[in-house]
Amino acid sequence: MDPFILQLCKPKMFSVSHKTVFVVDHCPYMAESSRQQVECDVLTKSRGQGLIPLAPVSKSLWTCAVECSMEYCRILYDIYPKDKLVNYIVSDSEFHTLNSWRQEEQSIHGLMSALAAVGPPNPREDPECCSILHGLVAAVESLCKITELQHERRTTLMDMADRVANRGRIICLTNAKSDTHVRMLEDYIQETILDQNKLAAGSDRLMAIQQCDLVLVHIYPQGEDTLVSDRPKKEVSPLLTSEVHSVRAGRHLATKLNILVQQHFDLASTTITNIPMKEEQHANTSANYDVELLHHRDAHLEFFKSGDLHMAGTSTRENGLKETITLKWCTPRTNSVELYYCTGAYRISPTDVNSRPSSCLTNFLLNGRSVLLEQPRKSGSKVISHMLSSHGGEIFLHVLNSNRSILEDPPSISEGCGGRVTDYRITDFGEFMRENRLAPFTESSLDPSGKPPAERAKAQLERHTRYWPMIISQTTILNMQAVVPLANLIVKESLSEEDVLTCQKTIYNLVDMERKNDPLPISTVGSRGKGPKRDEQYRTMWNELETLVKTHAADTDRHQRVLDCIVACRSKPAEDEDRKKRGRKREDREDRTDKSGGKDAEDKSWQDSERLKGLLDKDEQESEVIKDSPDSPEPLNKKPRLSTEEVQPPERAKGPVSLLSMWTNRITAANSRKHQEFAGRVNSVNNKFELYQQLKEENGMDVHENGKASR
Amino acid sequence: MPTVVLMDVSLSMTRPVSLDGSEEFQRKNLAVHGLNMLFEHMASNYRLEFTSLMAFSSLWELLVPFTRDYNTLQEALSNLEDYDKTCLEAALQGVSNVVQQEWGSACPCQVVLVTDGSLGIGKGSLRHSLQTQKHRGEDKKFPLPFPFPCKLFILCVANAEELQMSDAMDNLEELLRISGGEGQIFTVEGSLCMKSVQAMFGKLIDHAYSAFHAVLHCGNLSSDVQVFPRPEPVVVDEEVEPIPRAVSTDLEIVGFIEISDISSPPVITRHLVLPIAVNKDVDEVGAGATDELEEEPSASQMAGKSPNFCVLLHGSLKVEGMVAVVQLGPEWFGMLYSQADSKKKSNLMLSVFDPGLQPLPWLGKMSHLGPTSEATENPFGEDDSKSPFPVQPPVKRSYAQNITVWIKASGLQTDVQKILRNARKLPDKTQTFYKELNRLRKAALAFGFWELLKGVADLLERECTLLPDSAHPDAAFQLSHAAQQLKLASTGDPQFAGYDHNIIPMHTDFSS
Repeated sequence: MDPFILQLCKPKMFSVSHKTVFVVDHCPYMAESSRQQVECDVLTKSRGQGLIPLAPVSKSLWTCAVECSMEYCRILYDIYPKDKLVNYIVSDSEFHTLNSWRQEEQSIHGLMSALAAVGPPNPREDPECCSILHGLVAAVESLCKITELQHERRTTLMDMADRVANRGRIICLTNAKSDTHVRMLEDYIQETILDQNKLAAGSDRLMAIQQCDLVLVHIYPQGEDTLVSDRPKKEVSPLLTSEVHSVRAGRHLATKLNILVQQHFDLASTTITNIPMKEEQHANTSANYDVELLHHRDAHLEFFKSGDLHMAGTSTRENGLKETITLKWCTPRTNSVELYYCTGAYRISPTDVNSRPSSCLTNFLLNGRSVLLEQPRKSGSKVISHMLSSHGGEIFLHVLNSNRSILEDPPSISEGCGGRVTDYRITDFGEFMRENRLAPFTESSLDPSGKPPAERAKAQLERHTRYWPMIISQTTILNMQAVVPLANLIVKESLSEEDVLTCQKTIYNLVDMERKNDPLPISTVGSRGKGPKRDEQYRTMWNELETLVKTHAADTDRHQRVLDCIVACRSKPAEDEDRKKRGRKREDREDRTDKSGGKDAEDKSWQDSERLKGLLDKDEQESEVIKDSPDSPEPLNKKPRLSTEEVQPPERAKGPVSLLSMWTNRITAANSRKHQEFAGRVNSVNNKFELYQQLKEENGMDVHENGKASR
Repeated sequence: MPTVVLMDVSLSMTRPVSLDGSEEFQRKNLAVHGLNMLFEHMASNYRLEFTSLMAFSSLWELLVPFTRDYNTLQEALSNLEDYDKTCLEAALQGVSNVVQQEWGSACPCQVVLVTDGSLGIGKGSLRHSLQTQKHRGEDKKFPLPFPFPCKLFILCVANAEELQMSDAMDNLEELLRISGGEGQIFTVEGSLCMKSVQAMFGKLIDHAYSAFHAVLHCGNLSSDVQVFPRPEPVVVDEEVEPIPRAVSTDLEIVGFIEISDISSPPVITRHLVLPIAVNKDVDEVGAGATDELEEEPSASQMAGKSPNFCVLLHGSLKVEGMVAVVQLGPEWFGMLYSQADSKKKSNLMLSVFDPGLQPLPWLGKMSHLGPTSEATENPFGEDDSKSPFPVQPPVKRSYAQNITVWIKASGLQTDVQKILRNARKLPDKTQTFYKELNRLRKAALAFGFWELLKGVADLLERECTLLPDSAHPDAAFQLSHAAQQLKLASTGDPQFAGYDHNIIPMHTDFSS
């Protein structure tokens, strides 16, 4: 095994960030005011006169905790719509679980609705009955519960199910009493984990916790001193780590949770600068704005590694805790048909989602436009390093490669194998690609047979390529407009009666062409002189058509009928074909008589003499076939060939055909024809007999161009 | 993946190798011989690889910058001079600089270090470097691991026993470990001679410089191809799927997608797909087959003249502006497209997606991409005017759904002002007024911010008193109705404080 393995920079699937439990304190003291006041009555000068503005409102500790935790979830769900799960628990005299690990319960809307039902804490409730502990115990229990993804992985891994880890994080928003109180909470969680792990060992739906990170956020009102000290992450036990953040309610708490969500989910911040925006008041002036976005930090990987951080315009804000990289807006290009070399695409979430600059930027992108972003460099050179683009209502930050490519200056494809061939069927293959274009199928529209759509797509490609010559000069039929209906239909998995009819019509049409001695678009490339004679050309054409249809004949009875039709038409004396055709014409009531009407009388007399000859051959089976309607299967036609001998190669029964079997098929087809002698061949000179001699005399030079113009 | 050859030209490399009866060689001669062999192999089988040559002793020098001109490399090898002692750390720092300058820090590289295993003594020796590497400041960090992904191959013109007598082997192993572990140490087996050194370089060639040959399939059409650079195995998740996944040697096209639909997808690697001629009878089907061969054309001429599927595919992809989705292995996909290097030159390129069933969210699951013909209704429209891509996610993101955030005071103020603005334009703006009012009500209830509901109710009552005489009588009714409803909600009474309950406009005689 090659020891060099490309390591993708991805966190483990079941790291602690797979499961996050929020435990929010709902005890009476959380109803206390945060003492951060919000002026919501902003009076304009013109109206303000003589009015007493409304007293500012202030959020409670509970409101602060809830809105900041919702913001944490909003960012998380924007960037990881799947597989990063939140379980929200509220704790007072008991615990209230607001959602489960299930994917469909992971939404801001659902949580908001559940929170509204809980309401703010009741300040009159007995504080003695209330405790955050109820919620913390529930959180540990919840971490033991298996998620859909864990279940799915365990099921697929079977005997290696133990590779699926169970880790999680508890974010506890509370108002603790003291450091001792915090230690008590930690010990309690540690004990609960041990208890729950014992329980989990005996259950299928539970998993023991292997690692739990406790993030305790102590919230206290503005203007008060904290009773709890900050403490960095420490190991309580091999199963539990704990960290304590002591934060004032209000915007400090918001900033803290914003930093935490970045740390917990490997996020980084990019500020898009120089975004031109029309002013609300003065529509014809525009100012430049900045918008900060969060995304997975790998979008900055190149900067981190190259130590380019400072060059890239890092700005450090708010006591060095928060860093953002500045990228400059470049006027958008409208060309969406260009494939950029993109090394990563990461979902974004704006930090300030409903500010005007943010919503302007996001709406601009959601409308389908892309923006290239430029990395400011000291040297002043311009490097496009990223691109913002939305796909299906989700905005992604694409990382573009800005380094020299190791694939530069490769030999052109025209210098390699097949590069000097000039008559590829490029346009035809283009059509082929459009016919084999992929479309998304939903889970519900899946084929009940269980074959996934991608496999069906491959099966379709297989059918469409059973006979697909790559160059124009290798094919006659595929250059003929007259063959198109048949060529398009025969590749289908199943044919309708109507399809069979169309194919047969196509074949009769070809017979007609042959009878009229229409020229064929046979390439003269590679042959000297005038090329093969017309009857030779028709023979090649028929051979090719037979080859095409033969590759599909085994698929269904109807496919076989198309082949039978070809065999019948080409291998019979001309008169048979004609008769059969006219029989069909009568059935279909297709008014084509005026076209051939004038010739009918003469045709008949000629046919009659030919038919006599045919009858003399005493091939009764054949004459039966002649009477047969082309719409019913012609099993009898197969008989003489099967009975003759081992002419049918077994490959015919299967799908794809190798060149060898195609060739043998052709030879056997040719041979099989011999047992029922071609009327013309009986009278042939030097094994050659000119067909439709009388027609030629009659029609003179009446030649139609039936084929496509060759390219 | 570019290669840096780092050649030891310290004095110890001039140590003679005793060979019985024949010409006397230095270790350097053996190393040069081996490298010549490597370069010759690359020139004929791996010629798109960019290689540079560096020599080092106590100093380092870039002899040949990255090139595909293997003659220049060989020429530089023949002009090597001998210098003083070995100082590997400085040279590795040099490698790091040279590679980053040329390729940045994302491009994986291979470093071929050729040495005799005498790694210096005292300060500047590898032993010293490794001993001190943990106790250094940020500015003097040991150059390994490199910022770019790297495979380090160490070729010792010495046998393993010799290296194990000193601590050289241990130090080299440690070096390999801190480089990220991707690489290998090669030593000479048996006695030092041309043959054994050749064998050692042969192993390196097999290991790292053998061409990746595959067959590109599109149904029954196919072509033998070389994929360059070699696609490397990928580990998706160390914990759950620790076994690296390798690209299959059968690349199967699944179908085709427009460039605008696939929309600059992220890729992990890119590769050229070069058609190759494998000794096989040239397929000639149908008309135009010529059997006579008057003169025997050269093999490459023949290959150029016989149709190749890659060329056809490339031409059509280019003309149609499409890509081919290609399956590289179980649950692993990539795309083939025409990549133009310049106006004249273009090539068939393979981009490899992240392994997994949904590398691109906007395409949905790759296994759920199926033939358009099987859809009940053409998803592209009969006139090709629409597209089923991008696939919409089931839930909208926060920025697409008018979410309420009041973390900043300005957010709350804007929402209150919006209500007041509409309140003054009642009854014209009744619908917007209630829409905004209900949005605020929902958020206030979720956040347990009942105080705000009371505050806004007060504001609306005040607005009611401030209505000019000319105001529509309906305005006063709606304002007091709204204020009353907010007040009721602020009590938390479940009858009025339901999250999904909406305040509906009061039905008045005026509004009908």
